[in-house]
Amino acid sequence: MLKKRIIFTLLYDNGQFVLSRNFRLQKVGNLEWLQKNYNFAHISFFIDELVVLDISGGVRNQSAFCETLEALAEGCFVPIAAGGGVRSVDQARSLLRSGADKIVVNTPIFSQPALLKELAQEFGQQCIVGSLDLKRTQDGDYEILIESGAYALDGVAKDELQKLSDAIVGEWYLNSVDRDGTGQGYDLELIDQLPTDCLVPIILAGGAGNASHIATGLADPRVDAVATAHLFNFIGDGLKQARSSLLLAGVELAKWPAVDALVDDCSSNQLVTK
Amino acid sequence: MSKLITIVDYGMGNLWSVRSAVRYLGYNAVVSSKPSEIANADALILPGVGSFRTAMLALKNSRLDEAILEAVSNRERKIIGICLGMQLLAMHSTEGGETKGLGLIPTEVERFDIDVMSRVKVPHIGFNEVRSQDQSVLFKNIAPSSDFYFVHSYCLRAGEFHGCHAICHYGQDFIAAYEHENIFATQFHPEKSQTNGLKLLNNFLDY
Repeated sequence: MLKKRIIFTLLYDNGQFVLSRNFRLQKVGNLEWLQKNYNFAHISFFIDELVVLDISGGVRNQSAFCETLEALAEGCFVPIAAGGGVRSVDQARSLLRSGADKIVVNTPIFSQPALLKELAQEFGQQCIVGSLDLKRTQDGDYEILIESGAYALDGVAKDELQKLSDAIVGEWYLNSVDRDGTGQGYDLELIDQLPTDCLVPIILAGGAGNASHIATGLADPRVDAVATAHLFNFIGDGLKQARSSLLLAGVELAKWPAVDALVDDCSSNQLVTK
Repeated sequence: MSKLITIVDYGMGNLWSVRSAVRYLGYNAVVSSKPSEIANADALILPGVGSFRTAMLALKNSRLDEAILEAVSNRERKIIGICLGMQLLAMHSTEGGETKGLGLIPTEVERFDIDVMSRVKVPHIGFNEVRSQDQSVLFKNIAPSSDFYFVHSYCLRAGEFHGCHAICHYGQDFIAAYEHENIFATQFHPEKSQTNGLKLLNNFLDY
């Protein structure tokens, strides 16, 4: 059977990785810091997928982002989705040529629907992850934020999402602006904003603080994957332990042998150990 | 051991991560779009992401289809097709209109049957269980039921022919991995399947 996925999301801002709390950013370190203090190459063996988002304010330096992406992708043997500021097929292609397998789009879903069609034609629908930043309004509905949370679309999320043609993305990545970085757990109501006949996989993001939040998110039959961008809640062996406790609890996650076993098996050739 | 692995570049697919996995395993890999280099390669990897018809056209326009067949059929070099690369090795596909493939795997490529698959989401994305047979080259020292990463909407119809070495079930049974003589193929992405995939790639490279 198809396994559920745990996705790790890295937020990149002008050469630095950042933590986000309700979309307010705090710099934590550059790629070197991430590799050295966080041992990212090791951590990547305990996730099912990686998302890397360029959330730099102002004019983005895409070539610098692509270089970082290449360095991250080296030694990371899971699918990588990358995005942030993608406004053309060429920009998407640069990300795909730098190690990304999928492209994350957010604002263009609403501002450039033609681009989504072009991307799907060029790279396939499965290659497009539609990211939605959803914020709860005072009357209990949700609004959709675009441009890294800077603007809200008119209308309630549910109606706006109903209007979209159903096959424009390969997956939805639903992020709660209110829970973002708070560690209070996922907001499962985000899923209710999508049409009930949504047939593409759903990734739930925003708010995971511990393994039980991940378990709660994955227990919803509509959820295919959960994402966390919280570097510190899952630092050290945090992700490894979360993964084993979830497997023990019977959550349907993929299993693979530890990388040390692979090194032993492949010792006949000069396996690059990291 | 020091065979040169040539990754076929026809403008589609994540060549970068395939090369990174091959290098991680300690093998030398080059990416090439030159028919002469591909025809003379020791071993080929045919990756691919995208639409079958576009990919087949790209191979034909650059005469890479002939180069691959020269290496594989005439010179009997090993090849592994990955994802769309596997599908391109089949007879035909219905994606983008009926299109002829390279004809190295005797079956057809079809879209997941939506009727059969009530409430099953297409594309099929994520790690899924692959059941492999004994005495497989690719699955040597890999548990008979192991998880690999898939992302696809079309698949190879399973049938009673030689070489179906692993099956995956997603609404219907389809061929997850094929091997017959020097032809190898996986519908999943070994380069994206953590240590299970690295082990499988190593088994291919080592063979």
